[in-house]
Amino acid sequence: MDYRAQLAMRMLMNKKGSLIGAVLAVSIGILVIHVNFVIFQGLYDAIVRDMKAYRFGDVYVTNEDDYIDKSDIALVNWFERIPYVEAATPRLDSSAGINATKFGKRHEEFRVPVVGVDPFRDIQASTIHTTVGDGQFVFSRNSIVLGSTVARDLGGLQVGDNVELKFVDRSGQDQIKRFIVSGITTSAGGQGFDFSVIVHIDTLRSILDRTGETGAIIVKLNDPSKATEVKDLFLRSFPSDDFKAETIEESAESALRGFRSGIALINLIGYFGMTSSAFAIVTIQMMIVSSKTREIGVMRAIGAKRKDILLLFVFQGIIIGAIGAAAGTALGLVYTAHAKETRLEFEGSLALEVTYNWTKIVQTALTSFALAMAASIYPAYRATKLQPIEAMRTV
Amino acid sequence: MNKIYGESETAVHAIRDASFSVKKGELLLIVGSSGSGKSTLLNMIGLLDRPTNGKVLIDGTDTTNLKDGDLSSFRNSKLGFVFQFSNLLSDLTVLENVLLPRKIQQSYDTAMDDATKLLRTVGLEKEIHKRANKISGGQAQRVAIARALINKPSIVLADEPTGNLDSINAETIVQLMKSMAEKLGQAFIIVTHERDQFGKVDRVITIKDGRAFEGEEPKRMEVTA
Repeated sequence: MDYRAQLAMRMLMNKKGSLIGAVLAVSIGILVIHVNFVIFQGLYDAIVRDMKAYRFGDVYVTNEDDYIDKSDIALVNWFERIPYVEAATPRLDSSAGINATKFGKRHEEFRVPVVGVDPFRDIQASTIHTTVGDGQFVFSRNSIVLGSTVARDLGGLQVGDNVELKFVDRSGQDQIKRFIVSGITTSAGGQGFDFSVIVHIDTLRSILDRTGETGAIIVKLNDPSKATEVKDLFLRSFPSDDFKAETIEESAESALRGFRSGIALINLIGYFGMTSSAFAIVTIQMMIVSSKTREIGVMRAIGAKRKDILLLFVFQGIIIGAIGAAAGTALGLVYTAHAKETRLEFEGSLALEVTYNWTKIVQTALTSFALAMAASIYPAYRATKLQPIEAMRTV
Repeated sequence: MNKIYGESETAVHAIRDASFSVKKGELLLIVGSSGSGKSTLLNMIGLLDRPTNGKVLIDGTDTTNLKDGDLSSFRNSKLGFVFQFSNLLSDLTVLENVLLPRKIQQSYDTAMDDATKLLRTVGLEKEIHKRANKISGGQAQRVAIARALINKPSIVLADEPTGNLDSINAETIVQLMKSMAEKLGQAFIIVTHERDQFGKVDRVITIKDGRAFEGEEPKRMEVTA
């Protein structure tokens, strides 16, 4: 081993307090980045996961101008012939005024979004049915699933209660329909239909006078990476039908744009933190240079060049960077594994979607290592400036 | 050589018109009272400080215009240093301290053999793996002597080598240096204010008020090269 590297290691090992301090500075910097990633990227990915699972699927098909008037069964069958497609289902959206009478008290009408689903296909293409905590999913034409917030605002409605919805059909006429509550839905993080109600799609079509029309087709893939391919194939196959098809990224773009900016800012703050740890290394190494002033003078006296002294302290930076990066990455991976295994969530919010981004993990470790090495350059430079005679006079 | 600190009215002449030579194998003592300029002179000979005017020639090489890197290399190969406080590197073992000048030179061929031989000569072959801060002052000074000789320098410069030792250890160091000078043929230039410790030596130069005088008593000296 190069004698300078050997001496650098010895100096650090004999100053364990300084070494531990410097390594901690580097590793905590890395750990902060990992924790940020797990929490914020995990939250983002969880929102995308739930939006995909409940609302948009992997491919979301609508009509550019109006409702889809092609047969929904035909479209679903077309999609389900593609090997990458696991299932497809139609949806129809509307809104209505809702009111209910509970314990003799009538709760004032307020507007709610209404989602019409095909209960048999929907359970294959989405997981919204899993959010029904009380009761069961829509199963008949007069059953309704209430979002938990809607149920609460209607005076705490329960399964078996009645509600009345008032729609405006396509000709502007009010249409009133009574439903029996079959289930109450609650989703972690509110990405489901907590603020909406769910009815049978055929019931909604009938009320709105839109028989044979569909609002959207949701497509679930068994290989999500093929979303763009499936989307493009669909659009090529129906060139004159004014269809609009989007992947989840495109569907959720407006909802997620702000979140992405927030994540970028959080990451920036994390990297600032890592830069701060570099200053800690500068301070610690300056202390080591100061405590080794006399020995630096002796080395120069017996023939070491300025370059040798510079390399000595740069090697220290390399050692600190390497140990710190390894320790920080290990801690970060432990935290990530813990978050993944325990499906980490905060105060009942949605469970984070935790993944290992190996590119980011390696990049973080290398950046931290490079910063530690860079942080050693100034102390190393100061060490080279020491004149042998003056240095040896240091007590 | 002259060494002047400061300028005009505040100038201090640390060394005035000092000029002498030393031969291989010679043991030269530089004596003088505290503050007379002995260490300043030694630092200039050892290329750790530059004279204000004058030059230092070692083995025929004029060191005046050597750059910092070349000076370092020259010190490493031509000079050996023994300091008052031994100045061993505490993070290294006895053996590693002795090997250090050779490692700086990046010449490893016979390094281990040379180092162990020298440590045997100074009587420390059993301590080679001890950390430098775990040995006594006298032992440390012997290690320093071995370190000074590892690269077979032309001159060994010792600045108050016994200044920090008790009389017994001091005597040991003096005898060691004398025998090394005789056996190995290096020139030894030793600065001391304890003249009596060294007994009979080849030459003595006395420094008084920055001037160098041949011999023990300050008398008008013919300056010789």
